[in-house]
Amino acid sequence: MSSEPIERRVSYLGDRLRGRRCQICGREYFDIRDYCGNCGRKSFGKMADTDLFYDKGELEVCTFINEPTNKFTKLGSYIYGIVSFHDEKIRVPGRLTDFMIKDHEEIDFQAFEGRSVIPRFRRRYSVGRNDVIPTISLAFTLADEYYPYQEYAIIKPNKEYTAPGIVGYGVYTSKFRVREQNIERSVPFIDEDSITAAVEAGKLALIHSGVDSSLVGKVYVGSESNPYAVKPIASKVAQVLKLGEEDGDVQGVDAVDTEFACKAATSMFKDAASLVNYPKSNIQNTMVIGADNSQAAPRNCPGGELDLFVGYGGCAYVLGKCDVIAEIEGWYSCTSDTPDFWRRDGEPYPMHGGRFTGDPAYFKHVRKAAEKLMERLGLQLNDVKYFVAHQPNVRFPVKVAKELGFKEEQYLPSLQVARFGNTYSGSSLVGLAAVLDMAKPDERILIASYGSGAGSDAYSLMTTSQIRDKRKRQKLTVEYQAKNPFIEYVDYTVYRRLKLGM
Amino acid sequence: MMYNRPAVVVVGRTDFGEHYEKMPEKLIEEAWLKASEEAGIERKDLEACYLSDYFLPITNKLGLEEGFLSELTELHVPMGVTRSFSSALLNACNAIQAGRYDLVLVGGIEKMTDRWDKIRDDLMLLEDPWSYYAGCTPEANHELMLRAYIKKYGIAGEALEKLNLALAHISVKNHLHATKNKHAQYRRKITVDQVLKARQSARKPLGLYDFAPISDGATALVLTSEKTAKRFTDKPVYILGSASATDYLTFPARADMTRFLVTEIAIKNAVKMAGISLRDIQIAEVYDQSTVMEMVSLEDLGFCERGKGWMDIFESCQDYKGYYRVNGRKLFVNMNGGLKADGNPLGATGGAEIFEIFRQLQGEAGERQVESDSELKYGCVLELEGFGTKGYVHVLGRD
Repeated sequence: MSSEPIERRVSYLGDRLRGRRCQICGREYFDIRDYCGNCGRKSFGKMADTDLFYDKGELEVCTFINEPTNKFTKLGSYIYGIVSFHDEKIRVPGRLTDFMIKDHEEIDFQAFEGRSVIPRFRRRYSVGRNDVIPTISLAFTLADEYYPYQEYAIIKPNKEYTAPGIVGYGVYTSKFRVREQNIERSVPFIDEDSITAAVEAGKLALIHSGVDSSLVGKVYVGSESNPYAVKPIASKVAQVLKLGEEDGDVQGVDAVDTEFACKAATSMFKDAASLVNYPKSNIQNTMVIGADNSQAAPRNCPGGELDLFVGYGGCAYVLGKCDVIAEIEGWYSCTSDTPDFWRRDGEPYPMHGGRFTGDPAYFKHVRKAAEKLMERLGLQLNDVKYFVAHQPNVRFPVKVAKELGFKEEQYLPSLQVARFGNTYSGSSLVGLAAVLDMAKPDERILIASYGSGAGSDAYSLMTTSQIRDKRKRQKLTVEYQAKNPFIEYVDYTVYRRLKLGM
Repeated sequence: MMYNRPAVVVVGRTDFGEHYEKMPEKLIEEAWLKASEEAGIERKDLEACYLSDYFLPITNKLGLEEGFLSELTELHVPMGVTRSFSSALLNACNAIQAGRYDLVLVGGIEKMTDRWDKIRDDLMLLEDPWSYYAGCTPEANHELMLRAYIKKYGIAGEALEKLNLALAHISVKNHLHATKNKHAQYRRKITVDQVLKARQSARKPLGLYDFAPISDGATALVLTSEKTAKRFTDKPVYILGSASATDYLTFPARADMTRFLVTEIAIKNAVKMAGISLRDIQIAEVYDQSTVMEMVSLEDLGFCERGKGWMDIFESCQDYKGYYRVNGRKLFVNMNGGLKADGNPLGATGGAEIFEIFRQLQGEAGERQVESDSELKYGCVLELEGFGTKGYVHVLGRD
């Protein structure tokens, strides 16, 4: 399908699995129906909007597809079936994603039928390089597998804090990993990219924060692997997650993509926080997402050294003034024109400056930002419970933490690069999430991101008592994803194929 | 007795299979020539043409089909295109019965093999777009129907083995029938073992031999009013009942995934219109796009009990004598080889089904002629469009 109006129509329904329910007889539709087939004219105006996006379904029946239609051939083979929701009131077609069937492996359909599944937002199928990328949520993962089911229960805003801060967060990585030279890296499934990671991370952040998505007034998505040169990821996020007040088929939200290598997302925390603090903004919450299918040239090509470190993932943070789990105490950002890592327009892979990426780039900026912020806030080293740095590899964040004078117990908890790889815009944010997963109330976290080009953003965060209260809403913690029994390891060839996508 | 019964006076068809060398219009010309020569009809006798093709303009990049037919025949009579032969026939019947025309052509054509590399996408997108977006294939819906059937009736263990064998037998039976059909796409026998092995290697509930092929072909028949029929043949076959029904496009959204509602409705109305009982029907051509579809259709048509069609089939095929034994009587099904072996050029398929019943009722089916217990008088034809989105049943009979 290369006709954009048709694509818009299909993804509008399919991304969110929108439907309507008749409020007279209760019948449900996977379609925006203006009246009910049973009740006819009297049901006009009585059809309620519904969607299956946060629901859990049941895989009723399934079969195996080993010869897909042309646009699905890159998926190879997969389990396809029919999924029912709400006690079989509504049924939709769907395929199991994140699931690779081994050659010659016998398939027992009964073992799949009857199991709970969760909709996943993914690419729909392959299209030409110049076409709009089709997406859909008619892809499902098993609910008792890598991603557990989590309910989206909205909490009424309760306590307002003086300083704005983080209200909730979500980290989304893939079930697939590649393991090389003592580090494991998250590998996207073939139907994933930075857009799908951004949406999934945003979904998790909404679930954790309990914030009503209609209260989110602005969303920022930082990425350096947007599959489009022109077309925001943020618009997809806004529509699929229904951010802001929905009016007609438009969302009352400002959505924008930002770019500054790996600090594209962290850069926006202060803007997002300021916005909720601005008296006349009328914005309760904002969302910042860093998502990347981190790019690297194949190993034997120029820039191929990066291929040993790149990961895949998205991190989303909801900010606001109510029910804050970590207040933002202050920040400091620094910038200089340092060309240590870049990707020219139209080129698929980034280049880097080798040794130049160290001292004059990463270390200079991260150190400066962290030191300046501590100086401004009058902080001593032992005032900081956790230190989080950008993590392009294992060596850099450890070295910078030591140079700053931090001890292992301060910087090790945030060190996640050996588990997920460098998730670029999400890199320091995975580290922050890992710390937030374990932090107690009234603990200070210092985070210093880094973006090539170059600059660093340092923030000081102070946790509140709500961090403990909201913890039960976070099932997909960083630790859980790192030690998940359903992790599937792939070899280098499969990793490259999956990473290239469909 | 129905007033002014539409009469089929002649049916012509091409061989089904691959016709790379032929333009699509040459196929319909061939079918028309066969029919018109046999009955001595001139093209100037035609008052209207009812054509069918499922997606010829998409698959063969053609313009309006009526236009090329007009060029071919130099006729400027009313022509219309529908997506299946049965729907063309149904429209033609309505017009004849209304007294609007006395003699019309009903033709069907499809040329699928030229587009073998994209045809499954085309089929799937027309059949059920949402399922297509989710990754469905034309085969998968049949397999899901089977899985739903197994689940609904709790079939397991030995019974499940029997069900799977019964489905294999359907395919074997249809291939056997096709050996006697000189127009058929596959005129060779296959074995139960072959069917099972194909499933095994595909690791799916159904395999290569469970599905009808893609085909090229055309069929044409001449339909007249009752009073006109005798001018062309001594043995006209009448369309006694003709009915159709419609269901949702999206298969998963339908209320019951183990049956085709459209068939149930259409057979009820067609039999009622014909003024006969279902038991009077001795021979049927059913739409076996897959072996599951043949089994389920036998239940939908009311010949077999719900959830038990496979038992009748299994028993009948233990020592197959050329017919299914259902409700203690003979039922001849898909004597031409069905879609599985005769071929399935979508827009023309219904014509081949009518062709078979027409010949059988005339007693001119040659080596395929069935030996019924009582005099062979009534037959029925089931045709589906999409994956059971539309269903047509025609009841045919002779004097």
